[in-house]
Amino acid sequence: MSGTRLREPARESAEARPPAARTGRLSAYGERYGLVLLLAGVIAFFSVLPASSTAFTSTANVQSVLASIAVVSVLAVAAVFPLACGQFDFSVAATSLVSSIVCAATMSNHDALLPVAVVCGVGAGVLVGLVNAVLVALLRLNAFVITIGTATLLPGLVQWYTRGVDIVRGVSQPLRDFGSLTWLGLPRVIWLVALITAVCWFTLTHTAFGRRLHAVGSNASAARLVGIPVTALTFGALVTSGGLAGVAGVILTARNGGGLVNSGADLLFPALAAVFLGATAIDPGRYNVLGAVVGTLFVAVSVSGLTLAGAAEWVPAVFNGAALIIAVAVSTLLARRRGGPLAGARQSNR
Amino acid sequence: MGTVTTASADGSADSTSAAGHPTSLAVSGVNKSYGPASVLRDVSFELTRGHIHALAGGNGSGKSTLIKVLAGIDRADSGVLSRPGHAGTDLAGFSPAHAREAGLRFVHQDLGLLPDMTVAENFAFTRGFPKGAGRRIAWRKLHETTESLLGRFELDVSPTTVVRALRPADRAMVAIARALADDGPEQVLVLDEPTASLPHHEVDILLEGLSRRARQGQTILYVSHRLDEVLSLADSVTVLRDGGVAATRDARGLDQLQLAELMAGRSLGTLYGDEGPASSAARPRPAGGPVPVLEARGLSAGGISGIDLEIRAGEIVGLAGLLGSGRSTLLRTIFGAVRPASGTLTFEGEAIAAPSIKAAMRRGIALVPEDRLADALFHESSVTQNITVATLARYVRWARLVRSRERDTAAGVIDDLRIKTAGPDQTVTRLSGGNQQKVVVARWLQRAPRLLLLDEPTQGVDVVSRADIYERVRAVAAAGTSVLVASSDVEELVHLCGRVVVLRAGRVAAELSGEAVSVREIVRYSYADQEES
Repeated sequence: MSGTRLREPARESAEARPPAARTGRLSAYGERYGLVLLLAGVIAFFSVLPASSTAFTSTANVQSVLASIAVVSVLAVAAVFPLACGQFDFSVAATSLVSSIVCAATMSNHDALLPVAVVCGVGAGVLVGLVNAVLVALLRLNAFVITIGTATLLPGLVQWYTRGVDIVRGVSQPLRDFGSLTWLGLPRVIWLVALITAVCWFTLTHTAFGRRLHAVGSNASAARLVGIPVTALTFGALVTSGGLAGVAGVILTARNGGGLVNSGADLLFPALAAVFLGATAIDPGRYNVLGAVVGTLFVAVSVSGLTLAGAAEWVPAVFNGAALIIAVAVSTLLARRRGGPLAGARQSNR
Repeated sequence: MGTVTTASADGSADSTSAAGHPTSLAVSGVNKSYGPASVLRDVSFELTRGHIHALAGGNGSGKSTLIKVLAGIDRADSGVLSRPGHAGTDLAGFSPAHAREAGLRFVHQDLGLLPDMTVAENFAFTRGFPKGAGRRIAWRKLHETTESLLGRFELDVSPTTVVRALRPADRAMVAIARALADDGPEQVLVLDEPTASLPHHEVDILLEGLSRRARQGQTILYVSHRLDEVLSLADSVTVLRDGGVAATRDARGLDQLQLAELMAGRSLGTLYGDEGPASSAARPRPAGGPVPVLEARGLSAGGISGIDLEIRAGEIVGLAGLLGSGRSTLLRTIFGAVRPASGTLTFEGEAIAAPSIKAAMRRGIALVPEDRLADALFHESSVTQNITVATLARYVRWARLVRSRERDTAAGVIDDLRIKTAGPDQTVTRLSGGNQQKVVVARWLQRAPRLLLLDEPTQGVDVVSRADIYERVRAVAAAGTSVLVASSDVEELVHLCGRVVVLRAGRVAAELSGEAVSVREIVRYSYADQEES
């Protein structure tokens, strides 16, 4: 019943309310940049708040906040690819753990050169992505379930391989430097993150590949009927997310100075939260790369500010959870009120 | 017989119409605007007891808003609803509870039934479950009351049948019976496009059921844009156009064209945009090239078997048949979306060895699928992106999509096909059904197809957009594109096609051309079992 009722406004609004479009555009801008403005507001708030202002604005803090988002934001960007084509990938964080261990182990246990270790680390990610892709895209198994499976399985394999011991010996010094030093005042890893973000943003928003990926996510059946290779794109998206998770794993090794057995896998929910938060901004209603990065920044900045302001340990978690719920609720309700994209769209005639 | 009411009816509810039928309900002076845009302007109409009053209008006429105002879902700015013996109710403060109290009972297009539950359970969800000892559900009692209710509505349906198993017309009648189940005050049944999702042959069954209810004294407000239904069913009709009442007429004096012109507010020539209800002799019969554009021999796939078909350049061929006769499967097989089990497909003299959608598109075949929402539209995307999605490669320069060029193309298409939208960046779901369909058609015309496959091209499309789509289909055919139209609208095929292939149970039952292309013949072969091809 609600299907018809929700769809009705959409049917008439096009002709009935053109003047409303102007106010609509204003609110569209508000929606688009809401999260960015909120981020600016949070920064401004902690910059003037006496309890945190000095420490918050210090170079050291800015650098530490940026460095801390490196791995999460790459994982968030990785997760955008499968989400764009309508598939979940819950295994990105576990994949980064595997890549981090593989990267460290090739140096530590096999005395490999840094480039070889990096290739092995990223390759491990691609491999996991391939396994996911075969199961999900080719065998058409449910991605939600399959990637939870891989996400559970991989840390177990890591425990088996490492016997629970971190790999810190023999890790190349240039890689450690890359993880801890700065270029031009910014953490070196951030430059890589910026590059990855830029490339992925361009790929998803400005190429035919990205457009087609979103088309698959929007309506796979319609995509197939306009000649879009749905299986191949889904396959590609999962391999890409695996590969990017592999890159995140190498960054993780660089940041940690080695392969830590208990590091990485816990980043799944922060990364996904950032993606969902990001889907309410920049290109509202779509999983998008810039939104995801703004999402990670927003979370990191508020955690840093709250910590420096002396908030109790539980506050950041509550703050982040609430921010996610509110952002998604507000943007969904706004879209629904506009009679927007998702309102009853799936109602079929048959 | 029918009420003759003018747009400026004073709304006094105790008035009686000429023939002495008491007024059941009157609505007067409804105004509603969103910001500066006025959606309803001084809308008034009256319902006569035991009459079927149709509310007709194209997409965007304000029809749906008016229904929502009456249902109490949308608030009117002003307006009065009055019933005999009651003080008028201000529509500005109208709520769903008010609507119930006023005796208004709504059945919407999707019926609001839970398909996997039984008829009795569906009744119970609105009326409440009768409870026995320990608050358990008294199933027997529920089934008994439901049974007697169904009996009252002359519905030969068991309370324990799962709704999904009912035939579509019965489903609609069950929803109607449920809406009218409580013996409230005098009730007015409001039906919002009840036949939109019914297969063609089920429509008559439902309409017959409705007429019977009306003869028993049920007042019905029937909202539809299907001209034939409005005219065959209704006693009187109010036509809405651009938010105002264009006319209220006795239905008997109207024909389809007049009604369509009232809805459109302009002369339409004819409903089908051609030179007249097909004198088939005048229909162009293109010579075509020596080699057919498409040739199917013994084509079989799931649901179709042994199909032979030939289409020549510039020809518009119709594909008729009942639901499940294999129309869609045949189109999809030609398009490479369904793998043929056996038989051959030859396109422009070349055998299609490995059929796939990609190969079909490369050859110049295009398919406008039957189910727009499920199989054609990218709901969250803009009009522009929906138009360019099948031709994306054209807009790529140095790996980058040049959006400004995409938008230019879309703007041209919007003008050209008269698509009503706020602009190229509008989300496609916000367009009306007819305009969405134009977007999908435009998407494929961008590719300048050699063979255009149309599956139910005007389903859920208003009469004005229909004419636009027909005009465009004729234009591309005149330019040499072959068109294969599958439709359950027989009139449509008769007007549009020079040749009609009738399918029955997955086989070609008949191929009609020239004078033989008529509603009678198509219907005869669609149903007939007695004669084999």
